[in-house]
Amino acid sequence: MIHSIEEARRFSRFEDDPTDMALFVRTSSEDMKGWDRKRIVEALLRETKVDPLTAEQISKEVEELVIRSGISMVTAPLVRELVNSKLIERGLEEARRMHTRLGVPLYDVDQLIIHPNRENANVPHGPEATNLTLAERIKKEYALLSVFSQDVADAHMRGDIHLHDLGFVDRPYCSGQSLEYLKKFGLNLPNSLAIAKPAKHPEVLLAHMVKFAAALQSHFAGAIGWDAVNLFFAPYLRGMSSREIEQLAQMLVFEFSQQAVARGGQAIFTDINLYWEVPSHFENVPAIGPGGAFTGFTYGDYLPEAQRFVWAIFDVLKEGDAMGRPFFFPKPLVHMTERFFTTPGHEDFLAHICEVAGEKGSTYFVFDRGSTAKISECCRLSFRLKENDLRDAKEPWKMRYCAMQNVTLNLPRIAYEAKGDDHRLFSEITRRMELAAKAHIQKRIFIERLLSLGESGPLGLLTMKRDGEPYLRLHRASYLIGMVGLNELVQAHLGQELHESKEALRFGLKVIAHMKLMADKLSQKHNMKFVLEQTPAESTAYRFAKLDLENYDGAALSCVKGNPDSGEVYYTNSTYLNVGAPINPIDRVRLEGLFHPIIEAGALTHIWLGETRPSKDSLANFVVKVFRWTQNDQIAFSPEFTTCLECGRTHRGLSVSCPRCGSPNVEGMTRITGYFSKISGWNKGKLGELKDRHRNGKLI
Amino acid sequence: MTLFIKEGCSKCEYIKNKFDLEALGISIEVLGPENPDALAHLAWHGLVGVAESHMPILVLDDSSYIVDVVPIIRHLNGIARESS
Repeated sequence: MIHSIEEARRFSRFEDDPTDMALFVRTSSEDMKGWDRKRIVEALLRETKVDPLTAEQISKEVEELVIRSGISMVTAPLVRELVNSKLIERGLEEARRMHTRLGVPLYDVDQLIIHPNRENANVPHGPEATNLTLAERIKKEYALLSVFSQDVADAHMRGDIHLHDLGFVDRPYCSGQSLEYLKKFGLNLPNSLAIAKPAKHPEVLLAHMVKFAAALQSHFAGAIGWDAVNLFFAPYLRGMSSREIEQLAQMLVFEFSQQAVARGGQAIFTDINLYWEVPSHFENVPAIGPGGAFTGFTYGDYLPEAQRFVWAIFDVLKEGDAMGRPFFFPKPLVHMTERFFTTPGHEDFLAHICEVAGEKGSTYFVFDRGSTAKISECCRLSFRLKENDLRDAKEPWKMRYCAMQNVTLNLPRIAYEAKGDDHRLFSEITRRMELAAKAHIQKRIFIERLLSLGESGPLGLLTMKRDGEPYLRLHRASYLIGMVGLNELVQAHLGQELHESKEALRFGLKVIAHMKLMADKLSQKHNMKFVLEQTPAESTAYRFAKLDLENYDGAALSCVKGNPDSGEVYYTNSTYLNVGAPINPIDRVRLEGLFHPIIEAGALTHIWLGETRPSKDSLANFVVKVFRWTQNDQIAFSPEFTTCLECGRTHRGLSVSCPRCGSPNVEGMTRITGYFSKISGWNKGKLGELKDRHRNGKLI
Repeated sequence: MTLFIKEGCSKCEYIKNKFDLEALGISIEVLGPENPDALAHLAWHGLVGVAESHMPILVLDDSSYIVDVVPIIRHLNGIARESS
């Protein structure tokens, strides 16, 4: 047995030159150090709870192993894994977990640099995207080892639940903000190299908004939403000519479309909430104008300016970009309250936004019926404003909201396991929701730890207190519980899909009602706001389907949608009816809308138009019917486009070659879940769903 | 017909006690934390939003509905008279 380095050197191939005999270690701090087994001991004592004697013994065993191997250069990762193997031999699993090194295999990095990652259709392939993917992989491993407990992590790995945005575990999920914050306090961010006073001009306010959005994108995993954008810009627009307002609208749309500075080089995922009317909660609120000063008027007085601006925004959206394509961002969410229908000019405005919906698919129609007020973020996430929120409306800069995390349940799997037993089905839903709540609590604890480090910590921007309160109002955070595959759960449990019978649909409602009541109970128990959300499920619907085909072969094969042979498989998203079912669009909106009132954090129904172009009047009639006759929260019309990269023309519908010049160099685009993107970036599950979508244009 | 009532709702209790609802052919759905069936039924009728501000709710056979105590009592009195 070798007892010392000196003895080992006598056996090394470099024994002729003592200085060359030393064993070198390539460390993770990019240098090379001479071998010293004490570093193993130090690491074990620092990182784990192993006792000094065991640490010494392990270090000696590893040293012997390395010397016997005869190699002269080892890497720190290799040494670490050798130490881990010794920990495993001793049954010290917890120490091994704590001593784990996170990383990515060389082969995987090579593949990632070369081939695009299709998990997020929004992220273009490039060096920033690769950096994002690699960082996300490490943070995912970190999250599953260190933030979440093993039972939660295992449930995610198995596919019982999905913990969204694990690669962004050190951030909250989505958020909603108010321009009033910037108008009042200027652009004054921690670690910023320059501080700006409150804007005096609308162009500067826009610049502040875009920069703040970019900063926020690096502190949230999801969308950045802005409330009542046209209304809050309005005090800056008084006296501006139509041309000037058009120019400002153009700047807003192009800035948010083209700022490829967000995570991985993608555009800033932006939602702008817009109104034709002045919502009642803002009508008598004193308006902030240039320089951050109160103007002496209320927002109700700025209705004409607000309307001119929102009209101009939709003029820009209607034209599209230089190639006539729809803008992917910002997403314009038009809120329609009861007041909309009594506000002069609403019919013309409705026709205008419906024209844009039909031409470009840009418009999102959000229905705030009765006394409901909402801020929308992401493709369906919304915050219903409660009594205390409406009190905050008097100081609108306080109206900042966030969702901390989304945890989604794999509903079809629960049905496979229940095997037709109702009691077992609902018990299992309960158990998984409790697990989801546990995951949320663990994430919250982690985020609280980061926030406690204040403005010099990693979430410094979220702790800034320009109005006396941290920017991130944790006490108002929502914790989302989502669902995928309700349709397949019902199909597996009852033998019928949601659209196939009244009984199937009512059973689906019972499942979601059960989840809603469970969320309420968990909220009371943990003093946290658990709410249901329709998970966008861009990749989750695909992931769950793939995992279930592997693990629940027989049951899943009859329920999973798409084509198992090609791998283009998916579950029907959230509470949707089968996307391929030939259902009249108003019926689809009505039936899907039955779920919306019990999905508190937001829901959306898609009307796929394909290549058809319904008239603005027919779309407007449709929208009014939806508001009056259904409970649906939000709808979006989704046409499809093909852009020729040779001749630059954009055509309706998806085609493999340009109808004009015949070139095969074309790009298709349509809405993936809740935003437009290029089909070339879609994952297999979404491609499978695209093939199945029932196009409705002729029926409107 | 279905009468939706809520746990802890005194107006709901009043109506429940005032009429022999079963004899009138009216089933009762009690909205509460342990009754997803009732909530699902309410959602089926598209009345979740209504229930947030108006209870009880009487859903008629044609799926139209009446809210608030006085109109419901008036309607039930009418039914009671017809059946007697």
